[in-house]
Amino acid sequence: MFKEKLQKFFKIDRRWIFLLLAITLFVPIIKPLGLPNKTIAEATSRVYENIEKLPPGSFVLFSFDYDPSTRPELHPMAFALVRHAFSRNLRVGVVTYIAGSTGLIEELFAKVSKEYNKTDGKDYVILPYMPNILAVLTQMSSDLYGIYTKDRNGTPLQDMPVLKGVKNYKDMSLIVCVTGTAILDYWVAFVGDKYSVPVAGGVTAISQPGYGPYLQTNQLKGLIGGMKGAAEYESLIKQPGKGTSGIDALNLAHLLVLVLILTSNIILLIVKYF
Amino acid sequence: MKLIKKQIPLAIVFITGVLTLVSYYVPNKTSVNYIETMNKWENIVVAFAFLLGLVSLFFSHYHKLKKKADGWGYSIFVFVGFFAIVIPAYVSGGKQMTDAGLTPLGWSFKYIYNALSGTMFAVLAFYIVSTAYRSFRIKSMQAFVLFVAAFILILGKVPLGQMIWDAVLGWTGAGVNNVIDWIMQVPAVAGKRGIMIGISIGAIVTSLKIIFGIEKQYMGKD
Amino acid sequence: MSETWIILGGWLAAGLTIFLFSFLYKDNPFFKIAEHLYLGAGMGWLFQVSVANVWIPKIWEPVSKGELLVIIPSIMGLSLLTQFIPKISWISRYGFTFMMGYGSGLAIPAGLSTDFMSQVEGTIKPFSLLASMSPFAIFNSLLIAFGAICVLFYFFFSVEHKGHLKKVSNVGIYFLMIYFGAAFGNTVMARFSLLYGRFDDLYTFAGTKYLYATQIILAGMVLYFLAHWLSAGRHKVPSEENA
Repeated sequence: MFKEKLQKFFKIDRRWIFLLLAITLFVPIIKPLGLPNKTIAEATSRVYENIEKLPPGSFVLFSFDYDPSTRPELHPMAFALVRHAFSRNLRVGVVTYIAGSTGLIEELFAKVSKEYNKTDGKDYVILPYMPNILAVLTQMSSDLYGIYTKDRNGTPLQDMPVLKGVKNYKDMSLIVCVTGTAILDYWVAFVGDKYSVPVAGGVTAISQPGYGPYLQTNQLKGLIGGMKGAAEYESLIKQPGKGTSGIDALNLAHLLVLVLILTSNIILLIVKYF
Repeated sequence: MKLIKKQIPLAIVFITGVLTLVSYYVPNKTSVNYIETMNKWENIVVAFAFLLGLVSLFFSHYHKLKKKADGWGYSIFVFVGFFAIVIPAYVSGGKQMTDAGLTPLGWSFKYIYNALSGTMFAVLAFYIVSTAYRSFRIKSMQAFVLFVAAFILILGKVPLGQMIWDAVLGWTGAGVNNVIDWIMQVPAVAGKRGIMIGISIGAIVTSLKIIFGIEKQYMGKD
Repeated sequence: MSETWIILGGWLAAGLTIFLFSFLYKDNPFFKIAEHLYLGAGMGWLFQVSVANVWIPKIWEPVSKGELLVIIPSIMGLSLLTQFIPKISWISRYGFTFMMGYGSGLAIPAGLSTDFMSQVEGTIKPFSLLASMSPFAIFNSLLIAFGAICVLFYFFFSVEHKGHLKKVSNVGIYFLMIYFGAAFGNTVMARFSLLYGRFDDLYTFAGTKYLYATQIILAGMVLYFLAHWLSAGRHKVPSEENA
């Protein structure tokens, strides 16, 4: 009798589980738990230090290659990275190889450039989307103006103050690629390794474990991973944002998964042995 | 005819493949010029590739509409969605943001594309939870090892989990973040590196096969 | 953009989000509409970005200035479309072979140095620095080298594992399991993060500024399902078989 009940409980309509997840994730949004992220992964602080050590005026290239489908994880990272670069008075260039990211990049700079009083063309430049990353990455090793002649609004790049003295990778101090795709692999293989430019990354939690080997060999100079990574970076620059509030909201849902896995396995053990 | 249909295309793959490969190892002016031209060309060719998807999507939904096949009414919305982006793009001249704020294109991105694309992937969260409940079986030693690694990661990534760890295992002196860093930097690196080296060998062999015309499935049948 | 447009946008975004989520309860016309809109809008986005960023500046402008060389890759690009006409589909080979040749030529040196040589080097190199390493660091380096070798054994000697070979490749499986476990744990966080993102937006649209869009649309969906359920004669909701 007890066994049957347990078995029935195990085969519960999955929509109850859906509902449970919806509640555990939505409630902390309405009423935050107030448990901020406290730990910082080593790989995240490596990214931070690589930006922190650059002298003001250095040129940093961001490759923001994510669309709305991974926005909650990657957008907060991109915000934190650009804020960090602007606060250190670095010159910022942005490229992208994912069509859906152009809108997010606009949104980011519309907000952050005002916070730091930065001007388009003088302190930062947003280059247009290009469909074929390999071709562009290879081209930028010799002369980036061979492929980029105007910014995303059609303003010619020639004589743009932000790009003064920047012709190819030799003139860039750091490249940071934020992506939910394999584009970071391309930056490592075709740029970092080949032209010895420091490349760091920000990726979704899903792909984070796959970059371990590159971190160990220092082919990657640092890596921010997932919502947790975004929260870590926000605490490093002391500007809590969506990453910090996001990790707070995930607290209960994470425990829910663990409880569910344990419950189902305990039920099966009981059914099997008793 | 065989020459135009088969041999010339195979010659193209061989010549571009070998020249591109060689230009990586031989840096001089000619090879740089060559690779620069190829880079520009490739960029243009690829900009047409997405038309394959566009044409097949439009074809299939146009046919559904024409034949009034089951659920044909929904096919209208494929075109509605397309024009809900393309018309504002035309009106805004491709710009999403001006000094005055969002353009119509920016509006379409923010409220239509962003909402749809984000939600499509967010739905997967529900399935991963129900799968975890229904199918995560700790039946063997291997499954147990997988479970332990997953458990530590899921627990340790959120502050509440870190508090639980400290309360239960705090006496060991190892914080859960140290354990996670170790997993990610040592055993996971070993596992992934094995996969990486394996795949790289496979990829190099496949690329060589393509260049030398041994692998030509992508060409389709005659 | 005026205030009205922003409110309208909030309603649209909240509606589309809830329609897509409604599939979790049951398939329904609202979900189907949103799903088809997604297909169209995604394609529309790709189309407008390609036109504005490549076709106009990289093809149209050079050609109108008399730089005719870009016509060659444009024709190769267009040749891809002959795929849809079986009789002349062979023409598309000109585009494909160019892409494949270029891609393969680039992939070989990069794969060789980044994923093969650098990885082998990264495994061996720590042993040249043993003198300056802590015992724990030495242990870790040994473990990485040992694990990577076992995994490679597992992959490459797939014929039939016997005796010692079998033991080595079995150990390899454990390293793979730790990697997959870490990947699964992280996947859970990634999926939840995306869901959090949508919920966070829904919460925004639930505010007075958006005239309670989320609550009203959600209530509308509930009413729809209720009406549907009543009209369908209250037969039992079929429970799902598998997750």
